[in-house]
Amino acid sequence: MAHEPIRSIFENDPDMMEIVRDFAVALPERRRSLQALLEANNLDALQVAAHQLKGAGGGYGFQPITDTAARLEQALREGVDASALKDHCQALCEVLDAVTVSENV
Amino acid sequence: MNPEIRTPTRILVIDDSEPIHALIKARLQPEGLEVFSELDGEAGIERATTDLPDLILLDVDMPELDGFEVCRRLKNTPATRDIPIIFLTGTASTDSKVRGLDMGAIDYVTKPFDQVELRARVRAGLRTKQLQDILEHQSFLDALTGLWNRAYLDRRMEGEINIASRYDRPLGIALVDVDRFKNLNDTYGHLLGDVVLQGIARVMQDSARSSDTVARYGGEEFAILIPQADLDSTAQVAERVRQSIESHSFEVRGSNIGVTVSVGVVCTAEFVGELSPENLLNHADRALYASKDAGRNCTHLNVRGKIRPLEPGES
Repeated sequence: MAHEPIRSIFENDPDMMEIVRDFAVALPERRRSLQALLEANNLDALQVAAHQLKGAGGGYGFQPITDTAARLEQALREGVDASALKDHCQALCEVLDAVTVSENV
Repeated sequence: MNPEIRTPTRILVIDDSEPIHALIKARLQPEGLEVFSELDGEAGIERATTDLPDLILLDVDMPELDGFEVCRRLKNTPATRDIPIIFLTGTASTDSKVRGLDMGAIDYVTKPFDQVELRARVRAGLRTKQLQDILEHQSFLDALTGLWNRAYLDRRMEGEINIASRYDRPLGIALVDVDRFKNLNDTYGHLLGDVVLQGIARVMQDSARSSDTVARYGGEEFAILIPQADLDSTAQVAERVRQSIESHSFEVRGSNIGVTVSVGVVCTAEFVGELSPENLLNHADRALYASKDAGRNCTHLNVRGKIRPLEPGES
């Protein structure tokens, strides 16, 4: 399921514009890293990555990142089966893919 | 402990996530706060110890040293003990909040944080720290003269002796005692005795250097701590104080009276081995008593245990 574009609620905040953009630009790399960690079954590192996205996402105005990352972190903590884990990871990746920032920063 | 207000206010962020560093910086810089960050507990403790920030934002959930351990270590180190810590926590569990507060943190903020809340909590933390500093500052002041008191002198001496031995920079001390203060009290009454002590405090403060610590050590006894001073410079400061008091006229009940002081001087450069505040004060006290025995209104030096008067023209 493809998402509507997700925009930061702070994208017009002059204090935040620049770092929101930096954060968004780094997301594809984080997305690749999430998938690599899942494929390598490196669940500890995956949990750290989910934890960090949860903590930062909302602060940058992307609440959906925090919500989906929190579900992934919770799933890893509880130790769900591989297919459920893959779904949570996929949900987070789709959110990351949908993040959009204005070009005119 | 240092009552000087340092600007700008500096905040240390210890968090293993770089986006959090950038975020906090963007949120706090517009408030006029200077923000610097470290990515792990060890580096954070080191930075806190060397840079002494005004407040620390500390992530609970970090690999290796977690926030609780970092907090425990900072609170066990005298230099960093009083720096307020606000925990950044990813989980909203009551357990971890209570644990943090019990360890001496003053507050916590849950991630992802609301910027208004973050700013308000940081402001509140800084305000509490400032009030603590003011209270501490007041508890170290002598109520009558406004000089530092004995408790502050003891604490400051320990610090200055450490610095003196570590950097091989001598530290001088002068003990100053008012001559025949009892007679003065008996003749003019205690209230006027107090006025004289206040006047002497002002003269001492004016004739000491700004880096010197002037304290009321006891009833009519004062002490001046003179950092980075060899015996000669210490004697110079002491003699300047003695002469200023001698030439000052104190106004008591409309008439002017003269007051003199006796002085004992000692310098760490003249002693080898370990020196405690108590040792040094005892050495200075022996020199002071020699000044009293010699007829008062003069200065004696204790040089490696040998007491001798300050020669005219020596300072």
